[in-house]
Amino acid sequence: MITLSQRREVGEFRKRYRWMALFVVLVFGGIIGRIAQVQLFQRDRWSGIAQENITKTLELPATRGIIRDVEGRVVASNRPSYDVYATPRLLRADDLDRIASLMGLDEEQSEALRKRIAELPASRRSQQIELFDDIERDQLAALDTHLAELPGLDIVTVPLRDYPYSALGGHLIGYLNEVNEEDLSSASDPDAYRPGDRIGRNGLEKRYESLLRGSRGFRRVVVDARGRALEGDRPSSLDVQMLQKPVPGHDLQLTLDMRLMEAFDQAFRPHPSGAAVVVDIHTGAIRALYSKPVYDPNEMSSGLSTARYAALTNDPFRPLIDKTIYETYFPGSTFKVVTALAALEDGVVDPMQRVECLGFLKIGRQKFRCSKRHEWVDLYDAIVQSCNVYFWELAEEVGIERINRFARALGFAERTGIGVNSEAKGFLATREWYERHYGAFRIGYTLNTAIGQGNTRVTVLQIAMAYAAIANGGTLYVPQVLQNVKAPDGSLSETFQPRIIRDVGISPEHLEMVRRALVDVVHEEGGTAYRARNEDGVRVGGKTGTAQVVSRRGRAEESTSAWYLDRSHGWFAGFAPAEDAQVAFAVLVEHGGSGGASAAPIATWVMQQYLGEPPPEATE
Amino acid sequence: MTIGRTIRDEFDWPLFISVSTIALFGVLNLYSATDGGTTSDAYVQQLYWLLLGFGVAGLTVAVDYRHFERYGWLIYGACILALILVFVLGRSVRGSTRWIALGGFSLQPSELMKIGLIIALAKYLHHDTKMGGRTLADLIIPGLILALPMGLVLLQPDLGTAMMLAFIFASIMLLTELKLRSLVTLIVTFIVAAPITWFYLLKDYQKERITAFWHRLGGQQADLLDSGWHAHQSLVAIGSGGLSGKGFTQGTQTRFRFLPDQHTDFPFPVWAEEHGFLGALLLIGLYVFVVLWSLRIASQAKDRFGAVVAVGVGAMLFWQTVINLGMVSGLLPVVGMTLPLFSYGGSSLLSTMLGLGLLMNVSMRRFSH
Repeated sequence: MITLSQRREVGEFRKRYRWMALFVVLVFGGIIGRIAQVQLFQRDRWSGIAQENITKTLELPATRGIIRDVEGRVVASNRPSYDVYATPRLLRADDLDRIASLMGLDEEQSEALRKRIAELPASRRSQQIELFDDIERDQLAALDTHLAELPGLDIVTVPLRDYPYSALGGHLIGYLNEVNEEDLSSASDPDAYRPGDRIGRNGLEKRYESLLRGSRGFRRVVVDARGRALEGDRPSSLDVQMLQKPVPGHDLQLTLDMRLMEAFDQAFRPHPSGAAVVVDIHTGAIRALYSKPVYDPNEMSSGLSTARYAALTNDPFRPLIDKTIYETYFPGSTFKVVTALAALEDGVVDPMQRVECLGFLKIGRQKFRCSKRHEWVDLYDAIVQSCNVYFWELAEEVGIERINRFARALGFAERTGIGVNSEAKGFLATREWYERHYGAFRIGYTLNTAIGQGNTRVTVLQIAMAYAAIANGGTLYVPQVLQNVKAPDGSLSETFQPRIIRDVGISPEHLEMVRRALVDVVHEEGGTAYRARNEDGVRVGGKTGTAQVVSRRGRAEESTSAWYLDRSHGWFAGFAPAEDAQVAFAVLVEHGGSGGASAAPIATWVMQQYLGEPPPEATE
Repeated sequence: MTIGRTIRDEFDWPLFISVSTIALFGVLNLYSATDGGTTSDAYVQQLYWLLLGFGVAGLTVAVDYRHFERYGWLIYGACILALILVFVLGRSVRGSTRWIALGGFSLQPSELMKIGLIIALAKYLHHDTKMGGRTLADLIIPGLILALPMGLVLLQPDLGTAMMLAFIFASIMLLTELKLRSLVTLIVTFIVAAPITWFYLLKDYQKERITAFWHRLGGQQADLLDSGWHAHQSLVAIGSGGLSGKGFTQGTQTRFRFLPDQHTDFPFPVWAEEHGFLGALLLIGLYVFVVLWSLRIASQAKDRFGAVVAVGVGAMLFWQTVINLGMVSGLLPVVGMTLPLFSYGGSSLLSTMLGLGLLMNVSMRRFSH
């Protein structure tokens, strides 16, 4: 059957076979090369993805450290918040409607949810995103019962910050809110924060963020392509850490006494705004740092609406400002002790020498008014009755330089170093400053400085620290709010010792002399705070003051409250108990008028609550 | 000469053993791929198909291949008829009509068409006594032999099989000598046809696959949905297998269902994940052997028909294997293409075994006169 020509043509084909074989070998060689590249050289990368594929990492948030007051009362802790997370890749088309109905969302909210999921880039669809945070109990119950049917969904219990005392001490304690781009990029440990985490924003929460935070852990579960967890079916090739326990943050114990803070809150009820500080005179430990009004850290932590934020910002009593350390005031007559000490210490004055107060002092054509006609007063009477004329006469002798020198020694015009939040420095005007700003120096400036007006600016905390130095015999301490730090296992990791700024360099006799006068301010008839004394109660020494307010008249916010906002601030600063001082205090009632009538009663009442015998019903 | 003597003396053991090994690996792999799933008995079905395939191949071997030459047009015509019947009786799966029900199981005529095309081309070239280089005019009749089934397959539409028919055709025609001018004309035509195909013939999902493939080849972050997702997960499976693999039934990509169509289009990643580079090398080596062996059989064939059939079957195995491996390893866009002998699927296995029976036939009768 086979012809010769056909036979030859088969031979003609034969030329091609070698080329074809070569082609086959080259193509398969290329494929083997590719497989080798993928399996041998890129193995780690693909193995990593394979492991990621079948594991779902659940974050285990760290429990933030608890903050307690000096008596161990909880000031900041955590409560469970139920947050809902979703892995968009695992959500089926109708799952979102299901979630929306279980959550009880309205049309607008569920539309927003759908839009948010739809707009995610493909690269993010395998990562969990937070859908809702801190859901209600009934929402939790509804979702929880249907969780098995929604494999893309997870409910994560996250500890949420809780401040049991609400607003009390809010500035000092601070609050948390969500990290922003800047926090994420500036964190020293790049793994420390993830979008959605919360970070200390103010106060102690911010200052001790790194101690309080702790570090997150995780738990991995094996899942299939639909995201269903497969319990007990761990593949042999999976060699990743499946569990890392979170490390809780450190606990802080404060020097603050929340009972004292509550007492101030009660005493301040008649007044819309003010501030008070109480400090242990032997250590500088702050017992109270009270500012009114104040925001509620619970509210700040759960996210403020724009309207709420605007309300806080526009409130004429400025709840966002910490009036103990960030705001400065004229010290008023509380400053007279500085002038008195300067005069005594440099021997400028004989304390027994009397000066006649006619109710005013005329210098040139200027007439300076005193609160009343005090008749003949010596230094002691002048402090007790707060006679301006005496101090004006004294100021002429002492001079502005000496007053400033002793003021600086007592800590004015420098930051106290409390170390939390922004602290104002205050201001003492010098002769040079007056020359630079007013052209020439005039004696009137010295007179104003001597009685705490003029251009002297102090913080409430500075006044308290200075009075603590007077009360303790001349040692100026750094105010401290932290007593100790405890590690998660309960062991003490740091205890804070008293820190001394300086010995103010004033002789004990002169300090004693001033202290005696301060006690009589309260306890001698005619003393400016006599009506605020605790009869048969805790004896208190202190100085009243009335600080003029820079007029707000003519401002845009002029309203019915303007008359009030023009009233002077009332001061009362001192120490207690009178004969064996433990604490020093400074109380400022904004727009309270005279210090003797507004601030002194608050101070003496609070000191009675704090240091006095417990009321009879409490002992039963 | 009796069949008995032929089997004893001329039986092509290397071909039989290599093909059987691939098929056996395929069954094992199928067992692993479907283990624990809803189709966990697929490997049993595949075993039945395999037995049927070997039976069909045995029958094919028993008949001297010159009888296939004699009835070449009849076989071709029957395949064409089956393709037409698809449109009458066919059932639709995922938007394309490829199957006809035949008793208890369904048959894919387009798979059989590959064999029909090889036989028809072999018969045509067997009787074509033309000497020297061919011109375009000489390609008209073989071109028509291709065009008729290819057009029918494209109508289903089944782009993968249509492409395979074209590749088989091109491989066979490359055996013959073509004049340089004709070759250049063909290449120019192809370049012109490419954009027309892109804009008028390809469906959106097909275009998407190719675009995604280009992006991936360019190193861009692939869209991890649909075809990009498939190709990506396939690479994850292969790559995570490493040198020696995760072990039989231990592939995580397989077990946790990250591989799409893991028993049909993506059985190789399952294999590579569980048996590693060494396993992959062994399997690919077997395919290389079978293809080269088919060229050897062609070169020893005693006539043109046998040579063309051997090259045609070799080309069919070669292109299908290369396209499937290229697709799962990210070298080619994801097109529906099974891995011969290895993938799950009756029709594909049957046509492959039919082809291999023909190959064995040619091999065993290379010395007979």
